[in-house]
Parts: sequence; structure tokens; C-alpha cells
Amino acid sequence: MSRADLMSLLPEMILSGAGIVILLLDATAPKLRRAFTGLSVITVVAAVWGAWRAWSQFPGDSLLTWGGLLETSGVTYALSLVILLATGLCLLASQGYLRRENILSGEYHALLLWCATGLLLMLRGTELLTIFLSLELFSFCLYSLAAYHRRLAIASEAAIKYFLMGAFVSSFVLYGLALVYGATGSTRLAEIGAKLAAGGSMTAGASLGLLLLVAGFGFKMSIVPFHAWSPDTYQGAPSPFVAFLSVAPKVASALVLYRLLEAVVQVPTAVHKWRVVVAALAVMSMLVGNLLALAQRDIKRMLAYSGIAHMGYLLLALVVLDRASLMPVIVYLLAYVLMNAGAFTVVSMLYSRPGEQHLITDLSGYGYRYPLLGACLAVCMLSLGGIPPTVGFLGKYLVFLNAVGDGLVGLAVLGVLASLVGVFYYLRVVYVLYMKAEERQPEGLLLDVWGRTAAVVAALGTLALGIWPTGLLQWLLEATTAK
Amino acid sequence: METFFDLLLGNTLTRLVFFPAIACLPLLFFPRTAAKAAKVYTLVASLIELAFGLQYLAAHLGADGSFPLSRDVRLPWIPAYGISYDLAMDGISMPLAMLGIFLVPIVLLGSWQGIEKHWRGFGASMLMLTTGVLGALLAYDLFLFYVFWEVMLIPMYLLIGVWGGERRIYAAVKFFLYTMAGSLLMLIAILWMGWTFRALNGGAWSFAYEDMLRLDFPVYQQVWLFAAFALTFAIKVPMFPFHTWLPDAHVEAPTGGSVILAGILLKLGTYGFLRFAIPLFPKATEVAQPLLVGLALIGILYGALVAWVQEDMKKLVAYSSIAHLGFVMLGLLAVDQIAWEGSLLQMVNHGLSTGALFLLVGMLYDRRHTKKFSEFGGLAAVVPLFAFFLIFSTLASVGLPALNGFVGEFLILSGTFKSLGWPAVVATLGVVLAAVYLLKMVQLTLWGPITKEENRGLSDLSLRELAALVPLCVFMVWIGVAPETFLKPTRAALDSTLTAYRTALARPDVTEATLRPAAADQISQEGR
Repeated sequence: MSRADLMSLLPEMILSGAGIVILLLDATAPKLRRAFTGLSVITVVAAVWGAWRAWSQFPGDSLLTWGGLLETSGVTYALSLVILLATGLCLLASQGYLRRENILSGEYHALLLWCATGLLLMLRGTELLTIFLSLELFSFCLYSLAAYHRRLAIASEAAIKYFLMGAFVSSFVLYGLALVYGATGSTRLAEIGAKLAAGGSMTAGASLGLLLLVAGFGFKMSIVPFHAWSPDTYQGAPSPFVAFLSVAPKVASALVLYRLLEAVVQVPTAVHKWRVVVAALAVMSMLVGNLLALAQRDIKRMLAYSGIAHMGYLLLALVVLDRASLMPVIVYLLAYVLMNAGAFTVVSMLYSRPGEQHLITDLSGYGYRYPLLGACLAVCMLSLGGIPPTVGFLGKYLVFLNAVGDGLVGLAVLGVLASLVGVFYYLRVVYVLYMKAEERQPEGLLLDVWGRTAAVVAALGTLALGIWPTGLLQWLLEATTAK
Repeated sequence: METFFDLLLGNTLTRLVFFPAIACLPLLFFPRTAAKAAKVYTLVASLIELAFGLQYLAAHLGADGSFPLSRDVRLPWIPAYGISYDLAMDGISMPLAMLGIFLVPIVLLGSWQGIEKHWRGFGASMLMLTTGVLGALLAYDLFLFYVFWEVMLIPMYLLIGVWGGERRIYAAVKFFLYTMAGSLLMLIAILWMGWTFRALNGGAWSFAYEDMLRLDFPVYQQVWLFAAFALTFAIKVPMFPFHTWLPDAHVEAPTGGSVILAGILLKLGTYGFLRFAIPLFPKATEVAQPLLVGLALIGILYGALVAWVQEDMKKLVAYSSIAHLGFVMLGLLAVDQIAWEGSLLQMVNHGLSTGALFLLVGMLYDRRHTKKFSEFGGLAAVVPLFAFFLIFSTLASVGLPALNGFVGEFLILSGTFKSLGWPAVVATLGVVLAAVYLLKMVQLTLWGPITKEENRGLSDLSLRELAALVPLCVFMVWIGVAPETFLKPTRAALDSTLTAYRTALARPDVTEATLRPAAADQISQEGR
């Protein structure tokens, strides 16, 4: 264990340490509970600093620490920041909700920070057991957080569904890991890739193992056909937490998926088959997600299905699978975090009865009653719909550009047609906000400064990065190609 | 090195495009009750924009009345993908941009009373729309063009959906989805062109218009790419089978929305053909010409016949738009200097005369809250000023000599006859039909006995309404008697586009995409 090893774990240590401190404070000084959000946000900022420290020692280069278990590179740094952004937005959005529902306590913040720890670790893991352990770490936090609103039956239902399926999937991942190990004799992704390449073809065991792994991470990304949990879980789990659940695990899982497929690509005979598999997953996710989202009346379920569709677009970039696809993937994930977390933040503030349906029509006329939050939600919706000048458009543009360049014009056309369907249901929210007379008197809302900040940050970020992405893209280009 | 903000402060296209967007920010902070202040503020902003437009025109209009290409300094926007911020104005975009800038204050005056709620939002939408339209007209980078093209959608969606009539939601969503459906396929075509350019250019990206012009595609690829672009623009124009969104949008939109829609937004479609679809894919244009000419002719006759049987004034004017834009499309597809000059002029003419007609319908609606012919009759005796302007705009729209419509239609028909022959003859039938349905409108509203008692008490046009209509009529006469003033600035740009088109047609077919070397004058621009 060298200094470099310790330095590379700086962000994780900050996050998990702060989680323990908050839990102890909660037990010893419950009066401080109101300050936990501030404390956690500071922790996240510190973790950003830590991630920068860990990366800036070796800028532009990838470094393996802990005997090659963890990678620190421009890509992992960029995606760590995306996850920390999601964590920060979720924390800001949660304060008002927790106070309104009278369930404010330190466990929530601690679990969220540990969850972020697990995600950062998984993102950087280059070895399957490390990846599996961090997967379990953040999954357990997610299960508990989904059930956090103890008094609500619907929250327990959400958590049980998520937990049961998640437990299944964990065993899939573990079994897949064992099969891959059996076939290649290694759990390190680089070695697995090298062994497969040396063999010249994929054995049945290795193929099945990788397929199970893809299914496992596909579950975390809620890709069709592993998506069934997400609408129910989103609906029942606390809304501000869904702002995190719907984005952060997907960010980390997408990179792991990329790494797994990268190992496969080393076998020329198998590449085509795997690309077909990924393309099929992408097409199914885009179609099923968009079409089912059309039919939803509950905004949280609608966003769940729309999230499935978005992962479909993202997979289009993974079909191409060269290093240049990393840039569209990262931009898309960043866009997705901003707009989806922003949308859930506003949803958590404008609906005061978490146990009931969150009907889209309940927002009727709220664009005028709550101009700021309404505008933030509208911006996020337009961005989800991929309408310029938002970062959602930029993400789609890069993903489709990547696909067209690889000759996947048919897939890209399918993608834009699917996103046309998407525009329809995203616009419905805008129309309800601004073009319908108010239907429901708001009651018991708690529109605190924290939540507003989260919504404004997300909406402004969506617009600003859409209008002026120059610096961001330039930096990402350097970060993703420097290997 | 100049920055964006340097450009914004100078007498530049950047200022022209972004001033309205920046001007709508303070509107957000107006108190909700201060509708009057918001009205005045928006009007002043639009007048300042008009002044900026004239200032720019004064600085760049040549002494002989021609308008050479002028452009802002190109700035890198997304250099990682070769996307630049690049605005330019030439003789093709200048008249349309000026028309747009000119119509906004008129629309605001025309909407002074008709818009009863959320005036801040209305003003902001109007200003954002101006930015979107100008940006799309002036963008010289395909990515930038696409962004502005989509930016136009949202304000228009809001204009129809928030301030529209009874079926406004249906109309707004239909408008949005139709336009979006076309433009998404265009996006794929743009991506494809970008990749082809990169592959042929040693890995360096570009989406610049001039770079795209250097690409030579084999005919079968051109046809696909042309189809994607043409579909987008045909929906916007709208051409015959894609027109169904237009009557809905026009009827449900508030007056101001209709004027902007007819006056400028539809022109973006015809502009798209002239700027992108035809010059970028000349061989595909030739392949598709018979089909598109057929659709344009159907549009002319169909629009006219359907307009004839309407019982609602606004619907009549809406269908007349389809017929008029059919003329414009016919002229563009004739690919002939005279026809193109006529088409470009007719785009402006249509903006003026149809804009005036929509304003007049709106003024009548403000007074009687109906647009049905059966409710009117004999108005000439009650509201003589209104009658005067209605007859005036109608005659301009019909194409009476010495008014603007005549010049445009005449040039289109003579150019089309020269290059295409019989389609011009068929189109002439459309001119006759236009007289029939437009004069029917005048007859049913103005002449005859007064059948409804409510109409006796109608008030005539106010000073504000006159202020909106008089400038339009001044230009109708001006264009009618001195068309050369308006044709001259467009001539050089149209001529060079046409020459390039003919040169491209004369080139032998390629079997795979190739990239021509940049022209000498373009290299000097790059170095600038």
C-alpha cells in the first residue's frame, strides 16, 4: 500500500468517512439533523476536490492502483464528477421532502453517501470481484433508501420488488463472473480480454458468463428486458431519492458495460454477434420505453419508461464500441443526470402526497402558480425530448452522429423516430403546465431553498451546457483520447 | 481574436440575432399585473431590433443597390466536432430576415387587444421566435442551422397552445410533431454528410455550409439526402400532402401567431429549398423535379379550391397561403433566374399581403368574436377604413398590377414558362381562382345589405390598428411600382447559386462520394 494507492481512494474515503460521522452525529446529537444536508453537500464538494486530487496527480493518463484493481483516468474522473453531481442534486432535493414527510434523519444522508462510494468504486474497478463488491455495496444502500418512507406501504412494495429482483440479478452477476473465470482463469478485465483474444474465439462458458454479466448491469441500467422493476420502484420510492436512483447507478453501470464489451471486442469472430446483441437491446429499450411512456398518466412512471428509452439511445453508442464512443456516452450521461434529476426534483416538490398517484394532470396550470419550478420542469422536459438548445439535444446529436459514422444509419433513423414519440409525451407535461386551467389546489407543499437550488442548477446546467458546450467537449476529448 | 461579446456589441448579425433573446430576459422580472408595461417594453424592443436591422442594411447595401455576402467572424463553437458559430447574410436571406424584423412590431400592435392573458409570456415568445427565425435564416453551419430551426418550434408551440382558440392544444401538438418529424430525418442527413466530409477530409470534421457544398454524392445517395431535406422543408412550406397541420395551426393561433406563421415561418421552408436542398443536391433535384412540380401545382389548385368553399375568413386566408406558396415552390423548382427572383419576391409579398389579411381578420374578430362569413355583410358602410384596407390587401394578394403580388406572380409564371412550359399554364388557372375566392371574401363581408344588427355598431379602425396596417400597404405599393429596388439586392446571390447548380449538373456522375477542393475565394475567407 503506497501513498499513490491511498491518494487514489481519496474521494471514496471522504464520502464513506462523512457517512459514518453523520450517522454518529444522528445518534448523539439529533438536534443537528437539520444541518445534515449542508454537511453532506459539503462532503460531496470535498469529494469532488478529492477526485480532482486523485486524478490531477496523473493528468491525461490512466493509472492503476491497489495492484491493478482500481483505475484512475480522465474517463473515470469525468464520470465520478457526474455521479457526484447526481448525489449533490439529490441531497439538495431531499431536505424539503424529508422535512415535509417528517422522516428527516441521518441514515438517509449516510446511506446516500455510501451509495455514492460504491458507485465510484465500481466505476473505477478493473477487476470483476471488485466490481461485484461495489455493486453489492451500493445496491444495499439503494434497497434501503427505496424503503425509506417507512409509513408508506407503497414504498415498502417498491423496495421489496427492487430487492427481490436485485438479489436475483446479483446471483446472475456472480454466476457469470464464475463462468468467465472458469473460461479464462482471470477476473481482471484486461487479462480476460487478452485470454479471449489469444484463444481466437469465445467458448460457450465465456459467452454465457458475459451474457449474464451484461444482464446484471443491464438490470441496473433498466434496459429492456431487464427493466420491469423500474416503474414500480420509481413510483413508490421517495421522489428526491429517485432523482438519484434513476441516474447514478446507470452512469456507473454504463461504464462497466462498456468495459465488458471492450474485452469481447478483442475477439474478431465474436464482435459482430455481440454488436447484434447490444443493438437488439438498444432497439427494444427505445421502442418499449417510448411506447409505454406514452400510455402513462403518472409522471413518475412516465419518467421511468422514458429513462428506459434513454438507456436505449445510450446503447446506440455502445454498439459502435470504439474509444471514440466514450465521449458521446459521457456527454449523454451528464445530460441525462441534469435533466432527469432536475425533473424528479421538481416532481418531489410539487406533489405533496407521496402515497398517491402523481398524475401529470395534477400539474395543470402550475406553470403560472410556480413560475420558477414550472420553468425548470419545462426546460428539463424539452431537454429529455432532445430539443435544442439543451444539453439533451447535444447528447442525442453525439450519440446519433457516432452511430451514423459507423454505418448504423438504420439504427439512427429508428432512434430519431423513437425520440419523436418521446417528444409527444414530454410536450404533454409542458402543455399541462402552461395550457390547462388549474385543477388541483396545492396543499402542504414545502418549497425550500435547497430544493429550488437543485432545480435551478439542473435547469440552468441543461441550458448552459446546451448553448455553450465548447470547453466541456474540448476537455472531454482530451480526457477520453489520452490513453 | 474577437469574441462572441465583441460581436454582440458591434453592428453585426450576431447582434441582430441575439438582441431579441437578450431583450426578453427582463420581461421575466416584470410584475404579473404590469401587462401594459410589458406591451410597451416588447414593442420598444422590437423597434430597436428594427433599427438595428436598418443600420445593418445601411452598412452593407452596395451603392448600386446590390447586396453582397456579409458575414460575422466565424467562431469555434464545438471545435471537437468541427462545429462553428458562423452567421452570414446574402441576397437570399436578407429580404426574408428584414421581413421578419419588420413584421414583429406590426404583429405586436395587432395583438395589443386580442391577447388578454400572460402578456409577458406572449412578448417573450415573440422575441424568442425572432431570434430563432433570424438564426435559421443566417446560419452558415448546418449544425447551427438545425439548432435554430428547432428553437423556432417552442415559442410557436406556446403561441398556438397558450393564446390560441378552442382546439389550440390539438393544433399546437400537431404543428410541433409534424415539423419535428421532418427535421429529425434532416438531422440524420446532416450527420451523414458530416461523416462523409470527415472521411474525405483526412479526419477533420466540418459542418460548414461551404464545405458541404463541396461534397459530391452519387445520385442514389443524393436522392436519399435530398428526400430528408425536402421532406423537412415541404412540411414547413407546406406542400400538398403535408399541409394538413397548417389550417389547424392558423385557425387556432391568435392573430399575432398567424401573421408570424404565414409571414415568416412558412418562408423558412421555401428558403430551405433555395439555400440547402437544391444547391446541395442538384442531381437529386433534377430527379425529383417532376414530382415536386406536380405537388406544387396540386397545391396551387387544391389550396385555391378549398379556400373557395370556406365559410370562415381565417380558414380561407390559411388555404390561400397553401396556394400562394405553391406558386413560390413552382418558381423555385423551375430553377431559372427570373423565376427565382420572382419566388423570392413572392415570399416577401406573401408575408406582407397575407400578414395584412390575417391582421384584418383578427381586428374583425376582436370586435365581433366570430370569423364566419354568415355573420357579416354590408360592412363597407359601417367601417369604411377597414373596408379600404381589406380591399387593398385582397387586391395585392390577387395580383393586381401596380401592387406587389403582380410582380412576383408575373416573374414566376414567365420564368416557369420559359424553363418548364405547360406547368405555368396550369398555374395561371390558380391566379384566376385566387381572384374568385378572395373577391368572394370581400363580397361576403363588405358588400350587400347589413344582415346582422350587431354589425351596425362596429367601430372603425383605431390609430393603433392603422399604425400596423399602413406600413404593410406602403410596401405593397412600393414593391408594385418599383420592384427593381427589391429585386436588385437578390440578383447576384441567386445568380451565383444558379450558376453553381448548373455547373454541378454538368459534372459527370460520381460512383462514390468525393470532395472537391475549396475554391480560391473560400480559402481567402478561411484565412481571414
